[in-house]
Amino acid sequence: MDSTTACLDFAAIGHQDSWKNITRFVNGLRKPGQERLSDDTVKNIFAFLPPTEVFKVNVRSVTGATINGVYVETFIDPDKLDARFGRHNLAKVLEALNHVEKMGSKVATLGGFTSIVLEGNLDLLQQRRTSLTTGNTLTAAFIVKGVEEAAELVGIDLQAANLLIIGATGDIGSACATYFAGRVEKLLLCARKQLPLQELVLSLSKKQVSVHGSTNIAEFSRRADVIISVASSAGIRLPKLKSGVLICDAGYPKNLEQSLDDSLDGHLFHGGMGQVSGGFSFSPDYSSSIYEYPAPFTIHGCILEAMILAFEQRWENYSSGKGKITTEKMEEIYSLSLKHGITIAPFFDSAGCWAPLKKLYA
Amino acid sequence: METVAISPLAGEKLNVIADVFSQAITGELIGMSNFASLAETIDDPHEKMEAVEHANSERMHAEGFMAYAKKHGINININLAGEYWGNVRRQFLHYAKIKDFIACLIIQEVMLESFAVSMYTDVGNALGDEAGELFLSIADEEKEHLEHSSDLLRAALQEDPVGFVARFEEIHFNCMSILAKFTAATDLSGHCGVCNGDCMKGSLHHIDLDIATMRGNALALYARALDNIGIPGEKSIVWIAQLPA
Repeated sequence: MDSTTACLDFAAIGHQDSWKNITRFVNGLRKPGQERLSDDTVKNIFAFLPPTEVFKVNVRSVTGATINGVYVETFIDPDKLDARFGRHNLAKVLEALNHVEKMGSKVATLGGFTSIVLEGNLDLLQQRRTSLTTGNTLTAAFIVKGVEEAAELVGIDLQAANLLIIGATGDIGSACATYFAGRVEKLLLCARKQLPLQELVLSLSKKQVSVHGSTNIAEFSRRADVIISVASSAGIRLPKLKSGVLICDAGYPKNLEQSLDDSLDGHLFHGGMGQVSGGFSFSPDYSSSIYEYPAPFTIHGCILEAMILAFEQRWENYSSGKGKITTEKMEEIYSLSLKHGITIAPFFDSAGCWAPLKKLYA
Repeated sequence: METVAISPLAGEKLNVIADVFSQAITGELIGMSNFASLAETIDDPHEKMEAVEHANSERMHAEGFMAYAKKHGINININLAGEYWGNVRRQFLHYAKIKDFIACLIIQEVMLESFAVSMYTDVGNALGDEAGELFLSIADEEKEHLEHSSDLLRAALQEDPVGFVARFEEIHFNCMSILAKFTAATDLSGHCGVCNGDCMKGSLHHIDLDIATMRGNALALYARALDNIGIPGEKSIVWIAQLPA
């Protein structure tokens, strides 16, 4: 398959969350005996490169079906993800979109930061031969189902729990808030911008749900039994938390552990991740340098959404725009994921799988 | 002779400009020689004439740079046998001697032209005025060479995808390694033999440039050229990662 080959089932467009990761990947590409490159040297080359397909992936469903995809790395500078570099980053995402379209991909997902482009620019969907999705619906579904499962595992009764959502007005955050409305004792919603937060609180209040909003995380953090963080965790501080708190870090990058003021007396897992029980293979195999997780065949939910759409041959713009994810759509994509043997990833944090699971994946 | 505006940095700035012109002229003369050698490898009379025409176009570019330098009293140093330019020329001649037209095309019209187009554009935008316009107009003409080769190379790829990629890979490491060493933060194989004094890379800031950006832009254009030809990205990314840095 070269750059112009058609009949590609899906493409995943993404970026790395640190130069350390990119350097590790690049050094993994160098020949044995070649000098290892520093982060600065790698940055001076790779920050300039255009989006490029890095590896092919073959995914296997438990139904016996297989699909072929490709991962396209945008080489968006992980240090330049904020709004000041929006124009430059948008140009890179558009170039990546054109690239996957040229390759003939039927559906493409915009992973991580790149999805912001599709959340705000629906014009991108016009006259494209490749269907586009942010993958946010399945990510949100994996987060909420993961929280339910993890809560049961650690003995938290969600119906009696206070749930704090950090980044509540975002596409995924608002989907989680809507899902849990009425399923928890109290919803505590945090977001940076007051106005959309007030609107969300108001709309949920109308459904007779106990819901409070604040732009100040500290106001809510010590009252929360469960925390879902779907905001970029840079700059987030989590002061004093309840003993036994359950945290789902589903932000990007997933480094909420660094934001804790005290050592955690509770449980944290990286949410929004799924596991492909039928397995997948990369060609070339970069699984140990670019996509390594404590449990095998683990992938971000946003990428899995494109895979599921490809298995189902649903060439549609499944997740697009902002605030359009419904609980029904979350249930639909989640049930399709189970059909293909794609489940919530085993719970893990930066130290590895949760203790009872460690033996399984040791 | 016209007078050059004097500023506190004029001395250092002029030295850098002199080195930039020296590199550009040397590069154009290497290109001229390569196209002339390329003509020898071609049997088709029309393609042969086109190669000679390209050689003449490179000569005109060199003359254009020389004329500007003369007009403004810029001290030029031409050295076709220096460490990097000489090695690039030797690589080209190796393939020309065995009449490997495709390899010659890859070296001259993809690798060297990618660097020329990108670096001339960066220099042109940084210098502005008459000098800037000269670099930008020559960059535009070099772009045509780059585009001209893509059709031929795409056809060669279609004919033998596996063989073509393997051949391209060999040429990449033979030639791009030289350009990568040449454009690294420090000259990885010593002085180029073209710059008038010390390596100009450390002084590029006097004309609002830096070597990391120039090199990054050049490699980016090269990567796009590879993609345009149809080289799979999973190959080109490895090739670029394995270059000397």
